[in-house]
Amino acid sequence: MMDWLKRVRNYWSSGSRTGYVMVAPAILVLLIFNIIPLFASFGISLLDVNVLFNNPKFVGIQNYLEAFRTPRFWNSLKNTFIFTFLEVPCQMAIGLALAAVLTRNKWVNKLFRSIYFLPIICSATAVGIMWQLILNSNIGYVSWMLRSIGLPKISFLKDPEIAMYTVIFMSVWRSFGISTIIFVAGMQEVPAELYESADLDGASKFREFFSITLPGIIPTIYFVLITRLIGSMQVFDLIFVTTGGGPNFRTETMVNYIYSRAFSSDTRLGYATAMSECLFAIILIISILFYRRMLKDEQA
Amino acid sequence: MKQKRKLGNFIKFMILSFVAAIILLPVLWMFFSSFRAAKEIISWPPKFLPHEWVFDNYRKVFKRAPMMTYIKNSAIFAVSTTCLSCMINSFAGYAFARLHFRGKNVLFTMCLMTMMIPFQVTMIPLFTMINKMGIYDTWAGLILPRMAGVMGIFMMRAFFVGLPLELEEAGRIDGLTDYGIFARIMLPLAKPALVTQIVLGLNGAWNDLLYPLLMTSNVRMRMLSNGVALFVGQDTTDYGPAFAAGVVSMLPMLLLYLFGQRYFVEGTATSGLKG
Repeated sequence: MMDWLKRVRNYWSSGSRTGYVMVAPAILVLLIFNIIPLFASFGISLLDVNVLFNNPKFVGIQNYLEAFRTPRFWNSLKNTFIFTFLEVPCQMAIGLALAAVLTRNKWVNKLFRSIYFLPIICSATAVGIMWQLILNSNIGYVSWMLRSIGLPKISFLKDPEIAMYTVIFMSVWRSFGISTIIFVAGMQEVPAELYESADLDGASKFREFFSITLPGIIPTIYFVLITRLIGSMQVFDLIFVTTGGGPNFRTETMVNYIYSRAFSSDTRLGYATAMSECLFAIILIISILFYRRMLKDEQA
Repeated sequence: MKQKRKLGNFIKFMILSFVAAIILLPVLWMFFSSFRAAKEIISWPPKFLPHEWVFDNYRKVFKRAPMMTYIKNSAIFAVSTTCLSCMINSFAGYAFARLHFRGKNVLFTMCLMTMMIPFQVTMIPLFTMINKMGIYDTWAGLILPRMAGVMGIFMMRAFFVGLPLELEEAGRIDGLTDYGIFARIMLPLAKPALVTQIVLGLNGAWNDLLYPLLMTSNVRMRMLSNGVALFVGQDTTDYGPAFAAGVVSMLPMLLLYLFGQRYFVEGTATSGLKG
C-alpha cells in the first residue's frame, strides 16, 4: 500500500509534472470562469434572450445594429469618454505633483502619503454616501461652506450640467492617492546622482522635475496611464450608487447602461452583451494604441 | 536664501495639508454625522461635530436591514476568496517562476491575456453560466470564479523569480521534491508577498459591489456593499442611517489599513515597478 502511494507520489513529482499540477487549479479557474465566458459572450451577443435565458432567438448582428441606432447608446459612450478623458489626466496630474513633493521617505511624507491613500479602503458606496451628503444642498457641510462665501445653492448631483463633473471629482478624490503612491515608487528609482549633478549646475527644482524626474519615470507613467484608462472606462460602482445614471441619463456610462439593459426591467441579455463587446473593442483598441506608443518610446 | 527656502517649505506644507484635509473632511464628517440626531442633521447651518452624540442611527440601521447577515456574508466572501486565491495563485506563481514544463510560456501568456478582459464583458456570460450550473445565489457560485486571479499570479511569480536559485539547489540536495521545496523553503520566505496579497484581496473583495450584486439576489446572501447601497438612493431623506451604514462598511477595512498599511502601500507601489 505504502509502496503504491510512493509510486503515485514519485510519478507526480517527477520532472515537469509538478509544474502542471501546480498551475492546474489556477489555469482551470481562469479558463472556466474567464476565457470561456469571453468566447460565450460573442455568441450571446448574437442572440435575443432575457435574463433567465428562456427561448433564445438567433438574431445575428441585429443587436449591434440596434445599438448603433439607439441614442442612449451613443449617450453612454459619450459620457464614458467625458468621464475617462477628464478623470484620468486629472488624477495623474495631481498624483505626479504630489509624488514629486513627497518622494523622500521622511516620516512627514509617509504620513501624507498614507492619508492620500486612505480612500482605497472606501467602497464606492461609502464614497458615494460621503460626498452625496456632504455636497447635499440642504444639509451638506460643503454646501454651507460655499454659500457662506457667497456662492449660490448648487445641486451637485441633481443638476444635469454639473452632475458628471461631480462624479469625476469623486472619482479623482478616490484614486489620486493610488497614483501618487505608484509615482513615488517610480521616482525613488531615479538615480540620485542625476539630481546632484543638476544641483551643481544650478538647476531649479522645477527644471529638475521636467528634465530628470519625468523622463525617468516614463514607464511608470505609461503603466498608470494605461491601467487608469482601462479602469475608468469600466466605471460603474460610483455612478450606480450616487446618480444611477441620471439626471436625464447625463451620467450614464457604458457599464451602467449595459447593467440596466441586462438586469433592470427590460432585460435583454443579448443586446447588453453586444454593447459590452463594443466596450471591450474600445478598451482593446485604446490599450493597444498606448501600449505600442509605450514600446516605441522605450526603443527611442 | 534660507528665508526663501523656509517660505517654500511652508507653502508646500500648507498645500499638502489642504489636500489632506480634502481627503479627511468627508470621512470625518460622515463619521461625526453618524452620531448626530436626526433633527440636528437637517438643521442649517450644518455643524461639524455633533452637539449630542446619539446611537439612534446605528440602531435604525441594524433594525431596518439584516446588517449582521450582510457583514457575515461579506466576511465569508472576502476571507474565503482571498485565502483560496492566495494559495492557488502562489502555486501557479511558483510554477511559472521556477519550474519547467512544456507550454509554460503559452500558459503564462494566456494568463496575461485574461488581464486584458474587462469584467464587464464576461459578467453576463458568467452570470448565465453560474445560473445554468445551478449554483446561482450560493457560496459555490460566488467563490469558485474568484478562486484565482491574474494579478496575484503575477505578483507571486515576480516574487519567486527574485529568490536566489541556491535555495532550490539546497533543497534538492536535501532530497526534497519540488513540492517540498515549495512548501518548506519558498513559501515561508514568501510571507510578505502573501500578506500583501491577502490584504489587498480582502479589501478588494469586501468593497466589491458589481460582482456580488450580480451573483446573488436573495437577501440571505446579500453582501454589505449592496446592503449599504440600499440606504442611499437618489431620493433618500433619512440621512442618519445612511451615515451609520457607511461607517459600518468602512470600519473593518479601516482597521486593516491602520495595522497593515505597509502592505497596502508597498503592494500597490511595486505593482507599477515591474513594468
